[in-house]
Amino acid sequence: MSTAPPRNSEASSSSAGPRSSEAPIIRLQSVDKVYRASHGHAHALYAVDLAIERGEVFGIIGRSGAGKSTLLRILNLLEQPTSGTVLIDGQDITRLGSKDLRYLRQKMGFVFQQFNLLRSKTVYENVRLPLRVAGDMTVQAQHARVLEVLDLVGLAKHAHNYPRELSGGQQQRVGIARALANHPSVLLCDEPTSALDTETTRSILSLLRDINQRLNLTIILITHAMDVIRATADRVAVIDYGRIVESGAIVDVFLKPQHPTTQALLAEASFEAGSHPPTSWQQRGRGRVLRLTYRGTVVATPLLTSLAEELGQQFAILEGSVGRIGAMPYGDLIIGTQEADEQQLRRLLDALVRRGVDYEVLS
Amino acid sequence: MDAFSSVHPSLWADLIAFDYWPEIGQGTLDTVVMTVVSLVLTVIVGLPLGVVLFLTGGSQRSDKPLLARAQSVIHAVLSLLVNVLRSVPFLILLILLMPATRELIGTSLGVAGSIPPLVVATSPFFARLIENLLREVEAGVFEVCRSLGATTRQTVLWALLPESVAGILGAITVTTIALIGYSAMSGVIGGGGLGDLAVRYGYQRFNTPVMVITVVILVVLVQLIQIIGDRVVTRLSHR
Repeated sequence: MSTAPPRNSEASSSSAGPRSSEAPIIRLQSVDKVYRASHGHAHALYAVDLAIERGEVFGIIGRSGAGKSTLLRILNLLEQPTSGTVLIDGQDITRLGSKDLRYLRQKMGFVFQQFNLLRSKTVYENVRLPLRVAGDMTVQAQHARVLEVLDLVGLAKHAHNYPRELSGGQQQRVGIARALANHPSVLLCDEPTSALDTETTRSILSLLRDINQRLNLTIILITHAMDVIRATADRVAVIDYGRIVESGAIVDVFLKPQHPTTQALLAEASFEAGSHPPTSWQQRGRGRVLRLTYRGTVVATPLLTSLAEELGQQFAILEGSVGRIGAMPYGDLIIGTQEADEQQLRRLLDALVRRGVDYEVLS
Repeated sequence: MDAFSSVHPSLWADLIAFDYWPEIGQGTLDTVVMTVVSLVLTVIVGLPLGVVLFLTGGSQRSDKPLLARAQSVIHAVLSLLVNVLRSVPFLILLILLMPATRELIGTSLGVAGSIPPLVVATSPFFARLIENLLREVEAGVFEVCRSLGATTRQTVLWALLPESVAGILGAITVTTIALIGYSAMSGVIGGGGLGDLAVRYGYQRFNTPVMVITVVILVVLVQLIQIIGDRVVTRLSHR
């Protein structure tokens, strides 16, 4: 199941010794990509550093042309980086010979935006293709594996259909089954839901999430849609003009977006947290307006009620959302207080700190 | 048919009594044999040639500079060869190839003698058709094969050719029809078949009925091939 070492004893000796499960499965170090064109250069990636942990779903988000596709394609060397190293299981894949590189790619599934199924072949033959390419299974074993992955994606009944007979969502399921067939250690997904409608997107994303959980498979997913990241990823990196401008656990990025691009992407997704301009509440009598963000167990406590009882103050909820991002419960509220002097405000803020709630005084 | 025979009551009787049916039968058989054998050889030569032209062409070159250089040289040489052979008129090619044909199979006449020039004439044509077809294959197909770690051989045999199978059959249909036309032309230098018949009887001896009948048979043959070809293409097309 492991990507490395390929059938090359020299290459593997450099990364000998037991690896801790903490070691990232993929690590990029100062990766640059420059496209040389007849009229000057196009710098697609600048000094990208990235570490992707084993078993996580890692999202890469950015606008079109930000370099996210290039970044993904560098991970299995469909694109060669201009400089920098790409370590997979501790091994620098930019130094692999063509045979080892083919073997590496056989062990990394790739899911395409446009599915890229062979139209002349049945679903069954499409999914069997990677096994034929790898060529290390008997025909019976291939048959069993094809049926197994088709079952996993819920398409066992359609094995003998041709791609054009399937809906877009079903075609993408075939694409995913094909990517999974040869027991990859990593699944690379290039905008897997961009060609699909909302409902189908949801089902494909939950399939990916399910695969991640069941097979403990590392998934790297690029998208331009925050909703996709929110539904699927554990961590996210935001890429803008070839640079990673922000990265972290998705709860952090969603609740406390630092970079303007992240904020803009969140706003476009019309996702409540972090998307509203706080200025809209600034002229409101002599009361104060605060933004509270919190997560984890505190979400399940009667936060405002307990504050009201403790401080003898009352609060209005002006705006906000409460819910979950991935498995993490979160709250993001904008509240208004009654007329409050400095001392009352101080007591409120202290009470918030004690409860582990982040705040921002908006007015 | 009744109206037809009432106008020319003697036409069917004339046709039945026509003296040249044995020659026409033999000529038709010869044409079919020439066409089929030449077609098989054309595909055997032209298909790989087309694949090589495609693989060494711009879009598919290696990202290793040295290899890419070698590919572009191969492409230029093959491309020139193909263009030269395609620009020589078939009649001239027939005559130019007579010594080589005699060397190769002992005669430059008859059915056997016609086959080498036919193959030389249609293989470059077929190869270009294949090259163009492969260029039409979606970029996604190559992406998939690369991402699966497929070798070039696997990519060609398991993805490229199957994806263009309908187009290849279309190209075979077009080539077959071109071959029938060329084979008739080879009659001018004694190549055998319906063309030979038309030239010897129809042209040199002013036997118009033989001329008309051979032309009708050629038209029917071409029509049949086109219809069958179109049907097969439709059946195999999964778009």
